[in-house]
Amino acid sequence: MPTQEAPTPDLVLAAPLREEGADSEPSVVAVREEFGDKIRDVRLDADGCPVIEVDPDSLFEVLSYLKTDGGQAYDLLLDVMGVDHGGQRPIQVWYPLWSMKHGRRLRVVTQLPLDNLKVSSLASLWETANWLERETFDMFGITFEGHPDLRRILMPENYDEGFPLRKEFPLRGRFSRSEQTRRAMNRSREDVYAREELRMAGELKPELPPAVRPEEAARGHGLDGEHMVINLGPQHPATHGVLRLVLELDGEMVLRCIPHLGYLHTGFEKTCEYREWNQVVPYTDRMDYLAPMLYNIGYAQAVESLLGVQITPRCQVVRVLLSELNRIQGHLLWLGTTGIDLGAFTVFLYTFEERERVYNLHEAYSGARLTTSVTRIGGMMADLPAGWVDAMRDFANTLPDTLDEVERLLSKNSIWLGRTVDVGIIDGETAINYGLTGPNLRASGVAYDVRKARPYLGYDEYDFDLPVGAHGDTYDRYMVRVEEMRQSVRIIQQALDRLPGGPINVDDPSIILPPKSASMSSIDSMIAHFKLVMEGLRVPAGEVWSSIEASKGELGFGLVSDGGSKPVRCRFRGPSFVNLGALARMAEGSILADLIAVNASLDIVLGEIDR
Amino acid sequence: MPGAKERSNGTELLSDSRNLPIVDPADPGQTDTGVPHSWLTTRLDHVINWARRNSIWPMPFGTACCGIEMMASAASKYDIARFGMERMSFSPRQADLMIVAGRVTYKLAPVLRRVWDQMPQPKWCVSMGACASSGGMFDNYTIVQGIDTIIPVDVYVPGCPPRPEGLIYGLLMIQEKITGESLAMPGLRAESPEAVGAPNLPPETIELVTQPFGNSTIQNRVSGIEPSDAVQRPRDRRERKLEHGG
Repeated sequence: MPTQEAPTPDLVLAAPLREEGADSEPSVVAVREEFGDKIRDVRLDADGCPVIEVDPDSLFEVLSYLKTDGGQAYDLLLDVMGVDHGGQRPIQVWYPLWSMKHGRRLRVVTQLPLDNLKVSSLASLWETANWLERETFDMFGITFEGHPDLRRILMPENYDEGFPLRKEFPLRGRFSRSEQTRRAMNRSREDVYAREELRMAGELKPELPPAVRPEEAARGHGLDGEHMVINLGPQHPATHGVLRLVLELDGEMVLRCIPHLGYLHTGFEKTCEYREWNQVVPYTDRMDYLAPMLYNIGYAQAVESLLGVQITPRCQVVRVLLSELNRIQGHLLWLGTTGIDLGAFTVFLYTFEERERVYNLHEAYSGARLTTSVTRIGGMMADLPAGWVDAMRDFANTLPDTLDEVERLLSKNSIWLGRTVDVGIIDGETAINYGLTGPNLRASGVAYDVRKARPYLGYDEYDFDLPVGAHGDTYDRYMVRVEEMRQSVRIIQQALDRLPGGPINVDDPSIILPPKSASMSSIDSMIAHFKLVMEGLRVPAGEVWSSIEASKGELGFGLVSDGGSKPVRCRFRGPSFVNLGALARMAEGSILADLIAVNASLDIVLGEIDR
Repeated sequence: MPGAKERSNGTELLSDSRNLPIVDPADPGQTDTGVPHSWLTTRLDHVINWARRNSIWPMPFGTACCGIEMMASAASKYDIARFGMERMSFSPRQADLMIVAGRVTYKLAPVLRRVWDQMPQPKWCVSMGACASSGGMFDNYTIVQGIDTIIPVDVYVPGCPPRPEGLIYGLLMIQEKITGESLAMPGLRAESPEAVGAPNLPPETIELVTQPFGNSTIQNRVSGIEPSDAVQRPRDRRERKLEHGG
């Protein structure tokens, strides 16, 4: 019996949107000076990040200034996300930014009225914006003017039910299930290929389609009997899931690589708007099932910053332990599957042997092997079970032996070297422009890690190094990941040494369920239990974009609450989605076999790309 | 022979394999079994089913979390090679068993059907996990509410995701199902050309099974499976009958 009524005003806690403090932020001061009246509003969000709200007309100007001005140098565009508050209110677009040079973050926000959903595209400033804007167009129907290739990215090309993340779009879709099935099974060729691809394959007459890219038009249409267009995927062993790449080949050379996403689009963001805050946790597992606890932890942390809750010291250390365990878990799978892709099957067996040990640790703690759902808002699902710490220490002590063994197999292996060295090179500056994060960015020589840049969970108190590559090729990405596993072992050992006692959950009956014994014996606990179960956790109105360092890169959570028990917007910025955007750039001009190596080296997981 | 030892039954223990007696294949009668020809009688069904069930080549249609557990099943600890299934066939043309592991979207549905149509008979299908079997926790605009609306399914493996043991149990059920097949069964492997590329169920049935909680409760009726209080392999059922009978 869920309660449907709107929260009464006295139930809404003080909104944590803080007006004071934002004016003194250096970027805010500079933007105010430069643009003056084009700035509509300035505030701090629940996490203390300055937010600048600008006119849609001057958005491009402001962001271009923020990127190019030496005093600002916001060179990393982390995300582009829409927010629909419902009730015919304007749709917001958020642009979270990070400046490598100054180590500062900032969020630019603009509001678009429903009758004029247009804003200028940032694709000319950041390559990242290309896919992120396509996704926002796909989900909200916002037109990004000047975008080079604005078409749907996750939904089918001809999807005509509407824009899924708009509030008026029903959760189960507009059509009946049989109609959805019928439409799905009757897709024509035009529905699954972009016009550009059909032109590449000589399917369209030259005069019919408008040229999408000028250089495409200059090169002429059709294949002239030399080039070949092939599909790689969506069912292919080397694409790590249901990724589909349309390739234009000249012999073995890849001339064009057009990724098609969305074959695993699961509608996480829409579904989570219909779930209570704690019910979202199981959904976060299923996005990155290779390192699920990182998603659990990142999500809980974002909601806790909306609540303004400080978790207990024990919970902090436990979360660090689980984060690093899952970073190892994710990297191990990467190592094994990349080994298979490049012909080294033994490595897969070695790494899965270690992964089984991690699964055992998962299972001892949460009962599940990979869909763990360990966090709750304000704490964890339970305290660590007896003997778990010793098992964890044993794992941390013996993992480096396996890593040494794997390195003996690979690091000087001439086949491995031949397949990885100088393959898929991307330099640091380009990598930032493409929004790469995590090991992929660090392999290109940029020492950016959220754990160091904006320490959370007390990561600044741990002694660990950031491995950084020099060339940005596939071999460096391999080396960086192997070394990161060793650093994670170091962090785990430190965390085990300092694991404090005390409670694991915050002592607040409005957030955490009381223990069963208390709710059966005291009326206060019983009422708290009843309210939490029946109404769900109430999160004060506010907005936040917070991120953690996941195994694949920067994992962001953009949350909006209206004070109710369900999120208004639940955005997951999956690092793989953005990282994959650089694939075409890294693979075009190389041979087909190297495309497989590059794709594997990016460490993608489709659950998180397609969401 | 000097130095040769004797066995307890008196036969000589050879010190050199070159001294083995040579049997002329044209005259097998000279072997000391005394039986000139060996015979084994069996049913054709039995031999064919024995061969089929012990050399299944799975086609892993892994999309999400379940795909990772499927990989774990193939890795060293669980090792489905023990059941003759280590040869993962990524080409549908050389596969017998499709394991659909993970959620299937409407965008992926025609791909799934195409891959299934490309598999030659005899073929079986395992739907691994809650999402593939019923849409699972994703009752929304993009997820197919059970792949049995798209392709026929032989065994549903519950779990989110199922453990490797669960998948292996499902694969053993497939083996049991193969054991029970007979070439004499009418229409056993019949396929209509009209069914190619089309949904597996008529629209009314799709509406029925895809309503909230539909597929998990109506599935048995649609598939024609008798409801049972617990999931059993045919072999389990036989043993239980024997127990009751005795």
